[in-house]
Amino acid sequence: MVETHLSRLLNSSEFVVTAEVTPPHGSDKEQLLSKLAILKDFCDAVNVTDNVRGIPSLSSMACCHLLIDSGVEPIMQLSSRDRNRIAFESEIYGASALGVKNIIFVTGDHSLLGSHPHAKMVYDFDSIQALQIATHLMGGHDLAGAPLDGVPDLYLGSTFNPNADPMEMHAWRVEKKIEAGAQFFQTQAIYDVGRFKEFMRLIDKRTKVLAGIIPLRGPAMAEFMTRNIPGILIPDDIIKRLEKAGEGLEESERQKAVKSEGLQIAIETIREIRKMNGVNGIHIMGVGWEECVPLLVEDAGLYPRPGRE
Amino acid sequence: MELKSAEAVLSMLRGKQKIVLLGDSGCAQLCEVGGILQLEDMQEFLEQNEKEVIDTIFIEGGICNGDVLRNELAAHKDFLEKADVLLIQACGVAVQVLTELIPEKESFPATDSKSLGFLETRHVHHERCVTCGDCILHLTGGICPYARCAKGILNGPCGGAMNGRCERDENTDCAWQLIYDRLKMLGKLDNIRRIWDMRDWSAVSRPLFVSQHVLKSEVDKIG
Repeated sequence: MVETHLSRLLNSSEFVVTAEVTPPHGSDKEQLLSKLAILKDFCDAVNVTDNVRGIPSLSSMACCHLLIDSGVEPIMQLSSRDRNRIAFESEIYGASALGVKNIIFVTGDHSLLGSHPHAKMVYDFDSIQALQIATHLMGGHDLAGAPLDGVPDLYLGSTFNPNADPMEMHAWRVEKKIEAGAQFFQTQAIYDVGRFKEFMRLIDKRTKVLAGIIPLRGPAMAEFMTRNIPGILIPDDIIKRLEKAGEGLEESERQKAVKSEGLQIAIETIREIRKMNGVNGIHIMGVGWEECVPLLVEDAGLYPRPGRE
Repeated sequence: MELKSAEAVLSMLRGKQKIVLLGDSGCAQLCEVGGILQLEDMQEFLEQNEKEVIDTIFIEGGICNGDVLRNELAAHKDFLEKADVLLIQACGVAVQVLTELIPEKESFPATDSKSLGFLETRHVHHERCVTCGDCILHLTGGICPYARCAKGILNGPCGGAMNGRCERDENTDCAWQLIYDRLKMLGKLDNIRRIWDMRDWSAVSRPLFVSQHVLKSEVDKIG
């Protein structure tokens, strides 16, 4: 099994930090690199999302290549929504040839929720079967049994969502993913640590887990996310806390106050998660607010990050 | 299936004057697209829009039943010959059957066919089957994940389902929640604890291959 900076840290006692950049809706690599510059020194590896919500964006493989050129270790996301097994195998060879080693497999959001609802979705396989394909390829043969000209050596990961139902079934899916080859997980954003703990107790197999953090920029964003983003659940008391933080303030002051309350909530969540057994770090998703990464990492006492070997 | 919009029907019939309507007492009538009433409504609508409906053919049973259909078509031969177009108030199979039996005429679909389903009551149609060719209902508690999960995944549920509802829209049940609940009740949750392998889509490569017994009889004939 390949060693990456990420895998070494996850297998050490370090509390790991990964972050995420959203690729541009076009070919502007400078936009990607300027977002990257904000957060790259404050995390150990950076995720590149794969056409989230079915909104076409700069390809995750191309972005990962640009990250490597900038000295950043990428985690490439690959969704099963848009590729059949032929395109998928090809994509894994391509990523591997470009030096991408960490790949996260996701099922992918339904495209009716995005900007291209008229598209035909593929779903030739799901995220668990995607892990099976990658594991199979690492054995040196393609799905037809033909020997490969160069065998991908990858650190495979996936995601899980402790908020989703039925909880028992989702815990089984984590175990299925481990069986299919997943070595590490990033979770959906956590706002209810109690539920997260309950979920973690259902997982028997040992693995590495990075808890998802999305800092809230205000009550409106929180309401929007909990209503519209699949798999996100934000408890009412958090929304009330954000509302209260901005009460009676002028607009610009209010924005500053609720944003800082959002960061405070995230830091409290990180501190609580850090005390949990079986959690190896956090995965910060700024969702367009890359500046939150240095703020959170410093305030949570997680800076500086360990150097690369 | 449902009838196309009035605009869509008129736009499709642009340049066509003499029309023969077809419906049946099977699915077309049950789905209220090609029963007697809908054929009458269509005739009235087309005549208001200066078209001539020169004949209406109502098949007892289904248009997909070739034997019955051929007899009826023979009985209506004279009108069919004069028609500019046949307007089929039934599913996509019916349109294609008529195209094949009367290739010299165009047959146009008056409906959009989306699924095979269960007609709970008139007007209420639930999709249940996507004709995948590899039925696993005995393992999934009689609930089909291909037809009823918005992503058609075999190791569900995905991370977007909450409170038993699909991430695509809150009016759709999460098929995997239904499967989980039912198998739990049956004491058969082990069926979905294992990893389900990727499926083989070649069995339903469209258009479907000619069925094996037909092939065999063809081979016997040659032999």
